[in-house]
This record gives sequence, C-alpha cells and structure tokens, in this order.
Amino acid sequence: MSTDCQKTTAKAIPSSRRVTISDAAHMPHDYSTTPGGTLFSTTPGGTRIIYDRKFLLECRSSPVAKTPPRGLPNIPGVTSPPSKDTSEKTHNGEPLNNNTINAPGSSNTGEDAQFEMDI
Amino acid sequence: MNNKFDALKDDDSGDHDQDQGSPKDCEKEKTDDEDKEQNTSKKKMVVPGAGEHPLQYNYTFWYSRRTPGRPANTQSYEQNIKQIGSFASVEQFWRFYSHMIRPGDLTGHSDFHLFKEGIKPMWEDDANKMGGKWIIRLRKGLASRCWENLILAMLGEQFMVGEEICGAVVSVRFQEDIISIWNKTASDQATTARIRDTLRRVLNLPPNTIMEYKTHTDSIKAWEDFHGLVNASGGR
Repeated sequence: MSTDCQKTTAKAIPSSRRVTISDAAHMPHDYSTTPGGTLFSTTPGGTRIIYDRKFLLECRSSPVAKTPPRGLPNIPGVTSPPSKDTSEKTHNGEPLNNNTINAPGSSNTGEDAQFEMDI
Repeated sequence: MNNKFDALKDDDSGDHDQDQGSPKDCEKEKTDDEDKEQNTSKKKMVVPGAGEHPLQYNYTFWYSRRTPGRPANTQSYEQNIKQIGSFASVEQFWRFYSHMIRPGDLTGHSDFHLFKEGIKPMWEDDANKMGGKWIIRLRKGLASRCWENLILAMLGEQFMVGEEICGAVVSVRFQEDIISIWNKTASDQATTARIRDTLRRVLNLPPNTIMEYKTHTDSIKAWEDFHGLVNASGGR
C-alpha cells in the first residue's frame, strides 16, 4: 500500500487503501481476510468491498461507531425512547442518555450461536 | 402527484409505494471533520470518515408507520415515511443502528427500510420498477435478529449479485413480522436464485422455510385489484 505501489498498479485495481488497526478486535481471524475486510474480491459484479458478519459486529465496539450520528431525527419510540418528554433534547444528535436504546443483543459480538429458527 | 397508492397498507410485505414527494432532506451524516465539509449542502453524499471502513455503497435508513385509521391522502402518508439518515462506512452504520430501536421492539404497523442511497423504498423508483423481492414471514420474536443478519449481509456484499440489490425491509405486523430484500431485475433468475440461497445461509433458515418471490409489477397489480383501481388512472 505504499505510494510506489500505487503508481505501478495497473488500473484494474480501483484504488489502494490504508487500513489502520487500532484495536486487536479489528484483526481478521483467518488468513483469507485482510484487515478492513476482504477488499477487491471478484464477484459477478466486479470488485467488491466485502465484510462478513463477524467483522461487522466487531466494528461495533469501536469508539467512533458509538457516537450518535449527526442529524438523527427524533422519532419517539424509534430513535429515542417512546413517549414522554422527548422534546428538543435529542433533536440535533445530542446524546440521549447514551445508548438507552441499545437494546438486547447490542453486546453481541458474534460469538453467540445462531439462534434456531422455527417458523 | 398520483395518489393511487396512497392507502396501500394492505400489502403486508412492507412496501411503501406512495409518491412521497420530497421527504425532508435528512441531515446527512458528516464525517467527523472538518472545514472542507462546511460549505457543502446537506445533499452532499456522505463519505467515510478517516480510518473508517468504507462500504461498497452508501445506504439510507427509512422508517414508516401506519397511522391509526386510513390515511386520507398521499400527503398524510408522506408524513409517515421518514428518512433517518445515510451512511457510507461500517462505523457510520453502527452509529445509526445503535441509536435506533430494534424492529422487534417497534409497536404498531411499522417498517424499517434500508436502501442504497438514491433509491427510494418504492416500487416506482427507477431502480425498483423492473424488480421484485424475496419475502420471508417470521413468527414474532425473530425479527430483530433476522433483520440484523439480513442487513449485515447486504452491507457486507454477501449476496454476490453485482449491482442487483436495492434494499431491505422489515415490516412489523400484528401477528407476524416480514423481512424482504429487493432487487432490480425480477426476470433475472440466476440473480434471484442466488439471493434466495444467500438468504438461507445468512439467516440460518431451516430448509423448509417458505420464501416467496414477488415482482413489483405483481404487487402493483394486486394492489390495484384489491382497491378496484384497475384502469382507473391508466397506471403510471
């Protein structure tokens, strides 16, 4: 991923990307995965940025993934607790007493067994 | 604006096909920088922040809820579908997702839609009009987990069907919940078969799970028949 590399790269590879690993949880767990996901895998649609479920779930724990998004609309019962006093507090992406709606499963890091489905 | 679809609430599979004019421009998620972003309008495409993991596509979360009683017109429906926001990276996705209630905890007749940015969760959108969707009906209690698995597979490009995926919907209903995934070309059987197989894998569905593929033109026809609107307005 050095710049040299980029210069000599044929244009079939769209771009190169530097992946910073700040947390051991972001390291891939198998040899076929690169940090940051399996880049440039070839699929019928061309090159793709592919992530598996486990990697995506691991990213959830990164601090930057926990800050509330800017401009999150306040929809009581959806983006903020239902009913009452939902006034302006959460309106501009201010933290609503952080993660109160981080519902069950948010601590889930993909280690749990898949549930049995019985439809 | 044609409001032929304005009361479309009886198709249980989470379609929201109303003309919905201009939903409020939601504030796009901005990357946590920087002055260069300041002079851009809210319509600017969201981009991954520094050090974040980019997604193959940007996506937009939408939410809709049926109001008690029938909506009187398109406009009231419009008010029921809201953009929650758009994201371009894995981390930005989690910021939204972690601050949204899970579908299993929604009350009433509600839907979350997650579509590629620029595609409205409506049959009539150019990206959808030749398309269709796989529908899976779930007994109560499964929606949250299935929805999460579905959207993680979509965001992570697990379906391997090129540009075909348009978005996904979870529909919370009275006695069951429904998840669906929409693709562009209903007639492309290789694609729809691949989507079906991927769904089985990522949702961990038992082999006997009933999955139904429905084209959007059939959905529109069914809606028109149900509402006695065939030929009423020559379609659109």
